[in-house]
Amino acid sequence: MHIRVNGEEFDVKAHFLDDLIEELGYAGDWLATAVNNELVANNERSNHRIYEHDRIEILSPMQGG
Amino acid sequence: MLTLYGKNIPSRIFLGTAQYPSPMILENAVRHSGASIVTLSLRREIIGGEQRSRFHKFIEMLDAYVLPNTAGCCSVKEAVITARLARDLFKTNWIKLEVIGNQDTLQPDIFALVEAAKILVEEGFDVFPYMTDDLIVAERLVAAGCKTLMPWCAPIGSAKGPSNTASLRTMRDHFPDLPLIVDAGIGRPSHATMLMELGFDAILLNTAVAKALDPVKMAQAFAQAITAGRLGFEAGILNPRDIAIPSTPVIGQAVFP
Amino acid sequence: MKKILIKGAGVGGLTVAYELFTHGAHITIAAPENGPAGSASWYAGGMLAPYCECDNADSIIEKWGVKAIKWWHKVLPELVVRHGTLVVAAPRDNVELDRFAARTTGYEIVSAKELGDLEPDLAGRFQHGLFFASEAHIDPRKALDALIGRLKKGGVAFVAIGENEKDYDLVIDATGRARLQLDGQLRGIRGEMLLVRTTDIHFSRPIRLLHPRIPLYVVPRQKNIFMIGATMIESDNLRPITTRSIMEFLNAAYILHPAFAEAEIVEIGVGVRPAYADNLPHVKRKDKVISINGFYRHGYLLAPEMAIQIKNMVLQNCVQDLL
Repeated sequence: MHIRVNGEEFDVKAHFLDDLIEELGYAGDWLATAVNNELVANNERSNHRIYEHDRIEILSPMQGG
Repeated sequence: MLTLYGKNIPSRIFLGTAQYPSPMILENAVRHSGASIVTLSLRREIIGGEQRSRFHKFIEMLDAYVLPNTAGCCSVKEAVITARLARDLFKTNWIKLEVIGNQDTLQPDIFALVEAAKILVEEGFDVFPYMTDDLIVAERLVAAGCKTLMPWCAPIGSAKGPSNTASLRTMRDHFPDLPLIVDAGIGRPSHATMLMELGFDAILLNTAVAKALDPVKMAQAFAQAITAGRLGFEAGILNPRDIAIPSTPVIGQAVFP
Repeated sequence: MKKILIKGAGVGGLTVAYELFTHGAHITIAAPENGPAGSASWYAGGMLAPYCECDNADSIIEKWGVKAIKWWHKVLPELVVRHGTLVVAAPRDNVELDRFAARTTGYEIVSAKELGDLEPDLAGRFQHGLFFASEAHIDPRKALDALIGRLKKGGVAFVAIGENEKDYDLVIDATGRARLQLDGQLRGIRGEMLLVRTTDIHFSRPIRLLHPRIPLYVVPRQKNIFMIGATMIESDNLRPITTRSIMEFLNAAYILHPAFAEAEIVEIGVGVRPAYADNLPHVKRKDKVISINGFYRHGYLLAPEMAIQIKNMVLQNCVQDLL
């Protein structure tokens, strides 16, 4: 399936968001995700199906002012 | 004791976490200043699980309340989605709402700010809006449900200190019971003291500490400056007058001057 | 004689190898097939800037860095360029120059004319700048290749990673980024850089363009190539460069000189710099393994000092064994 993550194109096998994160190699806590500009909460990722051409945002915490 | 959205806040110095020379210096600055709130950001960046987990532990170790911000957002839509993501990640309803109107000067877009604040309050966020010193903007934000305000005293990182004392004073008088936190543009400890003497409730600093030659020492200096200013305010500061009043009583002296 | 295995052919591993080899130790180097390619050392700027780097770093960097320039000059005299560093800022960011000047030493303030004399292609573009005359720069990839060449010529064996450590008396781990998952105190700092080519501009020295949020440098290399770098993002991610970073680099380069707009992009690089919480390198020892890591953005500047410290540690130990 062809999707976009943080603006970059990927071909992935995963069908659910948590599997996708794992497939990309970023498993672990302290991450935030949005699909097509909608928040997908931490506990919803295992239920959230991803579809062709979905735009996925994965954000990490950083230092900030 | 300062209270913000129902939480007791033991110290009136808050620190941003950006641009420190190293994580170790950041940690020491937070510890030695006794800062009770630190700000953090969210970035469209995927950090590996291990590094994220270590950063998480590092932040927890700082032992301060985390106030996530919507830094980098230039529209209502961006700010709102970022706030939602921040709430999910940091597990707090607190959000420092920044909507930038100009990428160069980082001046807040007050129109987008008010609109975003309305939406976020509605969704149950505890909004800390970073704003200019405009009284009408303040009124709109309070009307939208913000229970605190974060006016600037000068542009972010400029270290100019307050040049808008009149408008800050007006805001303080206008909202006597609202916690007001001055954010952005502070340069030296005496700026912070001066603002606390005016009756502001806390100061949020980043550049003034992080970019000082000795950030840890500067953090301590600011902590003491803020304490001094607050104590002075609570003690009731003497109003200035033009004619001298001797502090030693003159009645009873053998010879009048 | 003790058999020493050095793991890693980045600047950390190769400088240690050189020090040990030239002091008579028996060394073998285990490295990936394409050597240092892809490591932080590969994407480095190669600036030897002990004074400029103290803007935001511990003052020990100045002390060790000054010694490092001498080291590189002694070992690879043909590659070290000692033309100093020029630091400038866009007029709107002039206060950054004042702040930088307040936090560093080893410079003189140069006027517009003096700046133009130093770099004719920048004449008239800046009112003043800071000139750090005693700083230097080196082409990092040439330096790494030269060290490898020297060591191979001296008979040092280069083997594949996965070499059996049991066959060695001492192992020196200089594997850099490979330790990020294994050393709980290391973090990665992502860096992005560009190599561009233009015949329209010539610089004799690295130019640092100050900015409150996005400070950048442009380092001249051979054959009209310039290295523009670098971002510093608290992340260990190696995914491709972001368009935002490219835009920031190109904007900064354009501020330096508009001719950069016509430059060709020759290479885009992304690397991860390992760093400890204090952003200083540390040598650790456990049983027969000595590890060196955490060079942050100071690999070429600090590796010689670490190499000497490790060499002393190793040789003194060996001496103690003999006694």
